Amino acid sequence: MSWLAHLFPTCQEISRLLSDAMDHRLPWHVRTRVRIHLRMCEACTDYHHQLTLLRSLLRRNPARQSEQESVLEPGLSAKAKERIRRALDSSRS
Amino acid sequence: MRLNFLRESFGDMGDVTGFDSQRWIDEHGDALYRFALVRVRDANAAEDLVQETFLAALQGARRESGETAERRWMIGIIKHKIIDHFRRMAREPLREGHQADLPVVDEDFLADGHWKPEFAAIHGWPDKPDELLERKQFWDTLAVCFDKLPPRTAQVFTLREMDELDTGEICRLLCVTQTNLGVMLHRARKQLRNCLSARYFGQAEEDASL
Repeated sequence: MSWLAHLFPTCQEISRLLSDAMDHRLPWHVRTRVRIHLRMCEACTDYHHQLTLLRSLLRRNPARQSEQESVLEPGLSAKAKERIRRALDSSRS
Repeated sequence: MRLNFLRESFGDMGDVTGFDSQRWIDEHGDALYRFALVRVRDANAAEDLVQETFLAALQGARRESGETAERRWMIGIIKHKIIDHFRRMAREPLREGHQADLPVVDEDFLADGHWKPEFAAIHGWPDKPDELLERKQFWDTLAVCFDKLPPRTAQVFTLREMDELDTGEICRLLCVTQTNLGVMLHRARKQLRNCLSARYFGQAEEDASL
């Protein structure tokens, strides 16, 4: 029984392994088990796709890199700018 | 020696002619603020981080010339300030109503390890990310979902997915174990996926409450 459970992980275990696989390379035998499971399981295949999509969205998030001017987030308020300017000037004197 | 002397006097001259705080704020303020805001998700904290960054830059031994180099230099400073901010937050006691970072049970699954029906067949996600990138409503929803994550979980997820730090680095910076980090990242991904499915991709009943 235990070797069977080992060979056929549950969706719960697979969901954790799919996350782990995004952070480091899994051992080959674990990868194989994940792959076999995905072949058979639509719910986990969808989940895998959604995690991958989420990652590529976050990595291409327009607001992530400051170099890209973003319309998605506002900038500093005038009040904050004034406060920061005063703090900078007083630290100089 | 002579070069040092020259550099010092040149630096001093710069000081005498007046360091222009307004220029820094105009050129880099908004960009630094957005950089911090998308990571710390708190406007006040982000403003403070910009100020701390400028103050640290003032102390900086070397001032690079050119707007791009200057910006890169300041982004480097604010990254460290953000991690300091995360560390400070970790020392604060949990506010009431916050979830603990390490879940006791995984509530998406049945006892036999299968997905609960409501989490099993989630459709409506697109095949490709492109169409979502410029959609403000999507990012707003993501922000709402993000704010529901436990604080430390949100921090490690930010460092992993936005700054693309590897797990060893995150463990070192925030003093968490690899095991706990794995649990938190797994949970962040799952919760964000569930929340986006419910609130943006038009699944579940949660939609009605919006």
